[in-house]
Amino acid sequence: MLHLTKGRVGCLLSRRVVLALTNRGARMSSHDHHEVSDKVDMSQPMYWDRLDTPLPDRPWKDVLDSTDKSLKQKEKGPWTALSKEEKIALYRLKFNHTYPEMKRPSHEWKTVIGGMFIVFGITGLVVLWQCHYVYPPQPHTFGEEWQAKQVQRMLDMQINPIEGFSAQWDYKNKQWK
Amino acid sequence: MAHPSQLGFQDAASPVMEELLHFHDHALMIVLLISTLVLYIIVAMVSTKLTNKYILDSQEIEIVWTVLPAVILILIALPSLRILYLMDEINDPHLTIKAMGHQWYWSYEYTDYEDLGFDSYMVPTQDLVPGQFRLLETDHRMVVPVESPIRVLVSAEDVLHSWAVPSLGVKMDAVPGRLNQTAFIASRPGVFYGQCSEICGANHSFMPIVVEAVPLEHFEKWSTMMLEDA
Repeated sequence: MLHLTKGRVGCLLSRRVVLALTNRGARMSSHDHHEVSDKVDMSQPMYWDRLDTPLPDRPWKDVLDSTDKSLKQKEKGPWTALSKEEKIALYRLKFNHTYPEMKRPSHEWKTVIGGMFIVFGITGLVVLWQCHYVYPPQPHTFGEEWQAKQVQRMLDMQINPIEGFSAQWDYKNKQWK
Repeated sequence: MAHPSQLGFQDAASPVMEELLHFHDHALMIVLLISTLVLYIIVAMVSTKLTNKYILDSQEIEIVWTVLPAVILILIALPSLRILYLMDEINDPHLTIKAMGHQWYWSYEYTDYEDLGFDSYMVPTQDLVPGQFRLLETDHRMVVPVESPIRVLVSAEDVLHSWAVPSLGVKMDAVPGRLNQTAFIASRPGVFYGQCSEICGANHSFMPIVVEAVPLEHFEKWSTMMLEDA
């Protein structure tokens, strides 16, 4: 396996020489210049309407006109001084949708179910065409008479007599149980 | 044989197959229980009104759902290994039969006492007598005495085949140049059907196996008759 051939010994020795005669900086000059750049988060704050994470990083309306700004100023005071409309306006500045608006039903399911049924229908047509034009005729053993004789023979041979086929036949009264 | 559209196993005709049926019931019950639990959890997770769904790091449930699957696996492995070793026991057979696979028929040799050998070809569909089973009937059946341990040595003369009879719980690959041993006891008299279970060419689906278990006197009469015919 790993026996010391001349070539291998030569390789190992030359490696030791190189390690002794050069420094780390020369050998690994492309690595680790001891200057790690500062980690800067350059992402922009996002807005989202999500049921499971309620408070987004930024308010809905960032750019406020003078009316909005004066309302925000009023918000800094006691909230009992705010009227109902002002509170709603403040909410609408902060958020896009209310919870009921987020949870509104979308009627997408109708498109999905409809599309599914259309695909089933097309598949059914393909299968019908295939049964008519592609499949060869069934073997003669599928005929009614043959199947009846086959069932009788299976009962006579007591095929699966414990819990299976023949177990369902009442041999005394000659009928299915 | 299976009746049309049968989904489950055929009734057992040997003690080993009975054990396998019970083990299958056991393992399937475990599988159904786990699947029901998982389905319930999926439905519960999807339909919850709760919004805080990202609780992480809970030691207790992690321990439960590591230990419980390990216990369940042990509960499956123990009966399985029991049956495995049961199948491997020295069984002191009363009769040894060699089943040789060819393209595309089986041949059986009963050489314990006399030299009896015969081929077993499938009966073609057009030659069936009304009531016979398509693709399952053969011209000669492998007859064995009932309630006797039988050793079957399975091999092949050309390519890989596999000698399988589901109701006896037997399947053994027929490898050319190799003798594989399997054994069974037919617990009840009857006719048991099987089909070649290793792809072996164009007529792989058309080389069935039929084992007929009969009382010993009938077996003796049959083997005498077969020797005379040969």
